[in-house]
Amino acid sequence: MPAPVEVEVFICGSPDRGDDGAAMTACEAVRTELPAGVRVRSVGQLDVDDLLAVPPEARVVIVDVATGIEPGVVLELPLAKLLEDETFRPRSSHALAVSGTVALAELIGERPLQGRVVALGGTRFAMGDGLSGPVAAAIPRFAAAIREAVEHARTEGAAACA
Amino acid sequence: MHDTGLPTGTSGDLVVDIAGLTRVEGEGSLRLRVRNGAVEEAHLEIFEAPRYFERLVVGRTPDEVIDIVARICGICPVAYQMTAVHAFEHGLGIPIDPQVRALRRLLYCGEWIESHALHVYLLHLPDFLGYASALELARDHRAAVEAGLNLKKAGNRIVELIGGRAIHPVSVRVGGFSRTFLRTEITSLREPLAAALEIALATVDLVAGLVPPDFQREARMVALRHPTEYPMNEGRIVSTDGLDLAPTDWLDEFQEGQVAWSHALQARSRDGRPYLLGPGSRLTLAADQLHPTAAAALARTGLAGEIRTNPYRSIVARAVELVDAVAEAHDVVEAYQPPDRSATPWTPGPCTAAWATEAPRGMIFHAYQLDEQGLIADARIVPPTSQNQAAIEADLTIFAPQVLGLPSDQATHRIEQLIRSYDPCISCATHFLQLHIEDVG
Repeated sequence: MPAPVEVEVFICGSPDRGDDGAAMTACEAVRTELPAGVRVRSVGQLDVDDLLAVPPEARVVIVDVATGIEPGVVLELPLAKLLEDETFRPRSSHALAVSGTVALAELIGERPLQGRVVALGGTRFAMGDGLSGPVAAAIPRFAAAIREAVEHARTEGAAACA
Repeated sequence: MHDTGLPTGTSGDLVVDIAGLTRVEGEGSLRLRVRNGAVEEAHLEIFEAPRYFERLVVGRTPDEVIDIVARICGICPVAYQMTAVHAFEHGLGIPIDPQVRALRRLLYCGEWIESHALHVYLLHLPDFLGYASALELARDHRAAVEAGLNLKKAGNRIVELIGGRAIHPVSVRVGGFSRTFLRTEITSLREPLAAALEIALATVDLVAGLVPPDFQREARMVALRHPTEYPMNEGRIVSTDGLDLAPTDWLDEFQEGQVAWSHALQARSRDGRPYLLGPGSRLTLAADQLHPTAAAALARTGLAGEIRTNPYRSIVARAVELVDAVAEAHDVVEAYQPPDRSATPWTPGPCTAAWATEAPRGMIFHAYQLDEQGLIADARIVPPTSQNQAAIEADLTIFAPQVLGLPSDQATHRIEQLIRSYDPCISCATHFLQLHIEDVG
């Protein structure tokens, strides 16, 4: 019987679009190290439905590449900060921004979402580009930050249940 | 003067630059040149992804192409897949089982439902009701936003079932699909579609009551038209001024050209005229082929004429098409019987392959040359946004003088709302314009 989901990790972005694929690359590096109870989903573009489907007691970790952060710099912050910080602009897609998606899910789902955002500053998002130099060099730090954010979310969740 | 830092026109000119039409795939800009209150030119740049894909598919097999072109867009991958697969099947002379044809129509309905529900409820409705975003709208009109999300979910469910996954589906193959679908799988869509139909009908009533800005013009409209069904996968290319072409013959009437202000190609008629695609054009040219439920919904609005002349009424056209797509999907589900095989066998070979279908935001055209081994030697992919670009610029030229006297934030909002009416790729960002106005007159 699979362990209940404690932390849901959403990987945003597309490997076709330069630095936008960095979240996927970094998550692949840590996927096998993540403990039971951590579910990793590659969503491309985060949808309200993805967040509404998060189990009630679970925490979320959203991993994305963003502009508004210096290329190659890794940022990890509580989900609530995402809604406050306008300098942070995730390269989310064609529909609603990640911050709008989170806020809408909280409103419709009638519960605050708890968790972390891990973002890496990107610079090159054109179709067919590879990772830019600063982003490629930052992948190990990005991966480490994902690992830490997951652990942080698990600890927060355990503390909330205690 | 609202802002500075712009190219200075000659005395009496007003130059308006709207820079940074931000979007994931790239950036664009809008530049208006105004003389004595009249807009002389409107230059809109929209990033265009397919150019890269035209080179990427060279040397690939048709089935590989179908998966590759789905990556062009996260919102309308089915449109790219359907256009490519029909082109190959027509070029290679491959017959298609009627149930496979029906399933493809169901798949396309799913994409229309997703795309139109997203646009109507989360992107366009906030404009009409005076909200800055879908989030602000949801705070006051939560039920409306929930309805939109539920409608979108019904579309997602279709695409996920038939396409194999919700984004960038993988099941479409030349000759059919990668697998057959059990009747029980397809009928699992019955209840969600019944619920979606109620929402779609209510959506028509909701948006028909919205008051659009006063703007009238006569555009040359182009869409597919089919003798017995509302156009999606098949039909002839027709226009409001009498054009009538096979879906393979887009290049006989239209051409793409480079314009100085944009890296993207822009499509026009060969005589230089712009033309408009999308829900308004489809309803204008093919309303008599709507599903009866959708036709009745359109009739209730009494807005068929205004849909043709006021681009802001496209939200009503989209809502009527939501009803059409949901009702059509429901009919396909009810009538479905599994075909004997998932796909018609076929033999690779040389051919010229071309086709046009109707993406949610307008007609899309593909043309391919296949070499002796049946591999792609040349490709042309013409998305709806690049075809609509010249028509949007023409409308902006007429509309912009109405807002030039407004404060920049209001002018920006009004122009954004108009651009969003055409549902170009850039419109999905909630605030995609930064307006700077310099009056040197």
